[in-house]
Formats: sequence, structure tokens, C-alpha cells
Amino acid sequence: MFVLAVIYENCTGCHLCELACSFKHHGVFDLSLSRITILTKPEVQTSVQVYCLQCQDAACERVCPVDAISRDKNGAYIINYDRCIGCRECAYACPFGAISFEVEARPIKCDLCEGEPECATVCPHDAIVYMEEKKAVRELKKAKAAGVAYGLYGGKETSEYPRKKAEEAVEYLLELVEKSGELDV
Amino acid sequence: MSISSERNVGDILIIDLTREKVVKREVSPETVKRYLGGRGFNSKALFDMIPGRIDPLSPENVLALGNGTFAGTALPMTSRLHISTLSPLSGILGDGNAGGEFSAMLKFAGYEQIIVTGRAQKPKYVFIEDDEVEIRDAEDLWGLTTGETVDWLRDEHGDEVSVAGIGPAGENLVRFATTMVDKYHSGARGSGAVWGSKNLKAIAVIGTKGVEPADPERFYEMAKEDIDYFNRNEFVKRIYSVIGTHYGLIQWYPSWKYFQVPLSAEELPIGLRPQDLAEYEVGRTQCFSCPLACKDVYYLPSTGEYGTASEFESIYALGSNNCVTDTEAILRMEHMADEYGMDVMTLGDTIALARLLHEKGILSREELGGVSLEWGDAEGQIELIEMTAYRRGFGNKLAEGYRNFAKLYGEEALAYCYDVKGVNRGWYEVDFINGIFTLSHATSTRGADHLRGRSWAYWENDKLMDIEAVRRMLEADLPDYRKDPVGALIYGERACTLADSLGRCKGSINSWLQAVPLVWKYPVFKGTAMLLTAFTGMEFTEKDIIDATDRIYLTEMAFNVKQGIKKKHYDVKFPPEFTATERAKAQVRRHWELVDEYLRRRGCDVETAYPARETLEELGIGYVADEIEGKEFPEWDGPVREVA
Repeated sequence: MFVLAVIYENCTGCHLCELACSFKHHGVFDLSLSRITILTKPEVQTSVQVYCLQCQDAACERVCPVDAISRDKNGAYIINYDRCIGCRECAYACPFGAISFEVEARPIKCDLCEGEPECATVCPHDAIVYMEEKKAVRELKKAKAAGVAYGLYGGKETSEYPRKKAEEAVEYLLELVEKSGELDV
Repeated sequence: MSISSERNVGDILIIDLTREKVVKREVSPETVKRYLGGRGFNSKALFDMIPGRIDPLSPENVLALGNGTFAGTALPMTSRLHISTLSPLSGILGDGNAGGEFSAMLKFAGYEQIIVTGRAQKPKYVFIEDDEVEIRDAEDLWGLTTGETVDWLRDEHGDEVSVAGIGPAGENLVRFATTMVDKYHSGARGSGAVWGSKNLKAIAVIGTKGVEPADPERFYEMAKEDIDYFNRNEFVKRIYSVIGTHYGLIQWYPSWKYFQVPLSAEELPIGLRPQDLAEYEVGRTQCFSCPLACKDVYYLPSTGEYGTASEFESIYALGSNNCVTDTEAILRMEHMADEYGMDVMTLGDTIALARLLHEKGILSREELGGVSLEWGDAEGQIELIEMTAYRRGFGNKLAEGYRNFAKLYGEEALAYCYDVKGVNRGWYEVDFINGIFTLSHATSTRGADHLRGRSWAYWENDKLMDIEAVRRMLEADLPDYRKDPVGALIYGERACTLADSLGRCKGSINSWLQAVPLVWKYPVFKGTAMLLTAFTGMEFTEKDIIDATDRIYLTEMAFNVKQGIKKKHYDVKFPPEFTATERAKAQVRRHWELVDEYLRRRGCDVETAYPARETLEELGIGYVADEIEGKEFPEWDGPVREVA
């Protein structure tokens, strides 16, 4: 089973996923029509990503009075709009706020784009991943572990991690500069 | 989908603060075709609305904010806001370009441009939520820093709000005060003081509409290709997104001690290296819809503050050029400049000039009133920055900004002022890169500047990013570029005018590959033409784009003609010690040859530097010629002041 996961440590809050999502589903760039929402506070470098986790035991599915929500072969909970009466129960029940009501009182939520989530394909920093469940959990663990290790080095005051990355960038840059001497344009 | 529909190109919002009136005006498809958006719309508005030489701080001045054609779309890096006005720093066209989320929000609210005129009786701010536009009291906001202002407005109107506005420097009419967007994104050349003079503290906007291209599938396909290009580029991943513009510290020779020594990568002092700055980094960020994350988020242990975007310019201007190497002090100064709302480059260069004048004995100790101007004094500089923002003591003089500051101390001081048309940029020898470097400073329509075409004219930064793309581009468009510095510069100027008009970022390292969409795939303006066609539903050719950028550029030149700019103001400045040498004299001759050729190829009168009627008529803007042809304008000498 593939899952959509957000490694929040990698998210820089660029909103490209929201633009891609709203376009894929509605042909328009409109943040309010995106199934994924990125709430940003750039000054403290935190983004909160609100999206459907496709719960094993989904509250939205259970509360729907007309059985309009069901799971498809990709594991995505899909809304059958022929049945939906627009009562909003699913949105109120969702513990993550991942369902919104925007178009003609119809609920909208992540449908995993039939197995090819658009948000994951545009994400520049590999913050949104769509992968086999075990692998995704491992990626999440790695990201958390890196965060913990970084904290152990003293966190904000003496950040070894960005320094190390910057050193590598400078090294690579100098390598390129040397090479570019030979490149004729 | 028609061009002026709310989902595509929005309305123009005209705010008259004197009468507290708001008018909305539709944009005609013709205007989009001829001026594209952003900087193009702004420059036209300024030319049309500002009759001639006026005090930039008078109510007659116009403040224009344009968001760019592609704002709010998934075409990456298109969320730049262009802010244009008659500059209180230079007295000519002054525009700045800021990132953040404001431009996208403005588009989502259904607007393409905001034009502010007049002066409010009392401090005001403007709140825009889609179709609702309100002018509100800002007395509680006056005096707040930019960060506090944004927080106040977020508390009042919700976290979604995006804010453009000013800090104390703008209120105190510091001549290089900036328009700040969302706390950290700055648009230079003094527009902040114009907000202050109009008693306008901020504009807060929430937009909830969508943007729908005329040919959605085609547009999205190309936008996604562009995202994918940056997502896959090694240079972007390994350098850009890691150290951002600190790249320049290694590559661009930051100057030491008021432009006396350009520092190579090996000479870069400890404290100013990218890895030293990274010690304070706690994360990375970027503007809306940008895949690059060129901006660092830093934490200052000594004050407990967070700041963003300690860019190359702030490090050289506040740091090396003043011989300051204390990393945290530089970050603190950068953050102070953001909070007070001041341009770091003019701030740093003006302080460095003051240090030099003091060293030369032109600026006496008494004049300083107890302030230290020793090279490298970080604590003293922190004090000076605060004094400047509040125009206290000697800070009141620094607040005049570079050339205006030097003018206070006479010809002797002006001799060390390396400006073009009132804007600072250091000095360079003419033969440095075929004379393009100095020529581009001279021809920039907002005074000496590196973002008007210079870096683009000689592919300063593209080579490392994608050599193959550069080769293709040159072969297709400029096969003779080596022998043709003037042609290369005009191409560079077109690229920058285009980027500023589309709302596209010129790239944190100033490159073609970023400034011009899809240039890595198609000949220079072909990709943009395809995107504009898909977006607007009107047919755009490459020639349409070239014509639009020339129309914008010549309108800007004509605007400056009305402000008294003559050919002599296209000059090049050297330190007095160098000016007298034969080497310098030969370089000056070469410079004027290049200026003549530039004016000829731009279709201007070579004697007067006025855009020629024939050229303007060919571009369909004969009305611009009507306003300047055969007219004499009093010669420019900095900004006009109503009260001496």
C-alpha cells in the first residue's frame, strides 16, 4: 500500500503543492480549492501541512449518513457526489481539518489523484512523498532522527548542520568555478 | 476567457488618500499586450500621472504597486511585487522589487495594480479583502516596526493577510526607506519615504479568488516543466537552495573599505564566509511559488530575534565595505534595517562613505557629535543605524542617503561619491568586462544598478548553472555577443524589464535561466511568448515581447528626461586619485563611445539622450514624444525639495 506523507522538516512553505492540487482538480490556481493546505510562519520556519491521511478507521466514512464515502483501490477515501447531500458531517468529524466545503456546498478532500498525487510531483524539497508505507515510515523516522541529532548538537545556538551543508556547497561551488574556466561560452 | 475577467488579469485600484476615495478600473487587453504588467504598468502610470519635476515627498507623487502578469500561478518564482515612484533618494524613477506573498494575494483578490495618490490627514492603512477595499485609521500602528505592523494586522484581520508597508524609517522620511512586504522582503530606492509622506502605513490584503489561464492545460504543462527544471538542477539543489545569495561572497568580489579592495574567495575574512553565516541559520524559506529556498532564516542569540534573508548585499554593504566582520553584528544590522524599513545597500554605502570622508578630514569630529566612525566599529554602526531610522543627531544627515549626504559637505565630498543619477553602486574600471559593467550602471533607468541588465549582459552566473542551455541561447539569439557589448546589454535590459513586468524573480543569483521563463528550453523570449499566449488567450510573438520591453524602457527614459536627466548624467565615476590618470581618461573616452552607440541603438538622440519621436512612434507611443520633444527641462541635481 502506497501512502502520501509529509516530512514537515523539509517543507519550506512555497505553496506550489496547493497551486498544483487546485489546478489538477479544478483547472484553476486557487488556494481555497486545494486539498492540501500549508499554513506558514516563515519567520520561525514552521509550516503546518493540513491534508488527508486516509485513516485506517476513517471518521468521515463512519459519520456520513448516506454512505457517500468509500475507499478506492489506492486506499483513498472518495466522495460519491451522486449520494452526497452536503451536510458537512465529514468535515466536522475529521480530526485533521482535511475536508473543506468550497464548491456548491460539496465537500472536497484528497483523492490521491488516482495513484499519482500532483502535490508530490511538484514539491521541490521532497517534503511530500508518495511511497510504499514501510518506506514512508522509514523516511519519516530518518527525518525525525536528523532533527533530534541536530538538536543534540546545540540546536539554534550552534547549528552544526547548516554549517556543514554550507561548507559542502562552497566546496562544490569552487569545484564548478575551477571547471568553468575551461568552459567556453 | 476574456482578459479582463476576474480570474485572469485583475483591475487597477486607484486610492486617493486626500479625498479618501477608491476607484476600480478595468485593464484593457490592449494594455496587457503593450505593457505586460508589473513594472510595465507602473512605469506607464508614473509617466502619465507625474507631470514634471515635483518634490517626491509632496502629495502629487504617485506610488504604484504592480503584481506582475503571472502572479498567483504555478509558474514558479512569479510572486514579485514591483513598487514604483518618483524616488526621494535620486529624484528620478525609483522602483524596487520585493518578494513575499503580497503579489499573489493581490492577484487572488482580483487586482493587477494599486496606485496611491494624495496625502491623508492622519495615519491610515488600507485593508483589501477581495472586492472590499477600506481606508482605515492607523494611529495605533504609527511608530511600529515592520514586524510589529505585520503582527498587528494579522491579529486584526487573520493570519492569511499579506502586508506591504513601512517602518519608522519610512515615517521619518529617510530617503532610502523601503517598502517592506511580509516583514522581510524589501523594495528599495526610497519608496518607503513616499508612503510616509502620504501618511500611509500599510496595505493589507486577503485574496480568495482563483487565477484561471485562458488555455489552462497548456499553461500548466509549461509551468510544471519549469518547476521540474529547477527541481532537477544540481546547481540549484546543491548551492542555491543551501547558501542562496551567499554564493556571491565567493563569486562577486564583495568590496572592502569603501570600494577600495574587491575581495576574492581566498581573501574573504573569517566571519563573512557562507559557512560562518550558516552558524546562525535555523531554516530556509522563499517567496510564494518559488522552488528555490534562497533565503536563510537566522536566529540571533544575543537578542533572541529571528530574521530572514541575510543576502549578499547586506553582508557586503553593512559588513566588508565598512570593514565589519562580526557575523552576528551584521545579521543584527540587517534585521534592524528590515524592522525600521531601510535599504541595506544605500544604508551601508552611505555609512562607508561617511567613514571615508571622516578619514580624509572632510567630515570633522565636531560634525559627528560623539559618534565613532572608525572602520570596523560594529557597535558604533548599530547605533548609527538606529539614529538614521529616527533621524537623530548625525543620523539625520545619513538619512539623506548617499549623494544627498555627500552634497551636504560640498564638492570635495561629492568627488568620492560613486553614483549614477543619485544611486550608489561603487566604482569600476571601464574595461572590466568589455565596458558593459560601467555602461549598464549608466544606462539603468533607476540610477546605477546591477538588476537592470548588467549581470545578464555577460552571463555572469548562468555558466555554472547550466552551460549547455547558455550555449543554445547564445547561438540562437546573440551569435556575435563577444564583439557586441552594447547589443548584449540591450538584451539584458530587455530580460530584466520582462521579468519585472511578469512578476518573475530575476533569480537570487541574477541569471537568465531564472529571470526568463523556459529560456533553458527555447530561444530567448519564445517560451515567454508561449506562456503569455496560453495565459491571456491573446497571440504573443517574440517580437511583441521585445517591443513591449522597449516601450517600457523608453517610457522610463522619457520619464527621467522630464526630471531633468541629460546626456551628461550617463557618466562614469572614479575615485579622484584615479580620475587624473591617462588610463582613466582613455577609459572615459571608451565609455562615452559606448554610451553613444547605446543611445543610437536604443533609438535615442545621441546629443540629448532623448528617446526619438520616430522610435516612440514605431512602438505606438507617439504621445510620449509629444511630452518631451523640443522641450527643455531644468537640469537634474538630485530630488527637488519644496522647502529648502
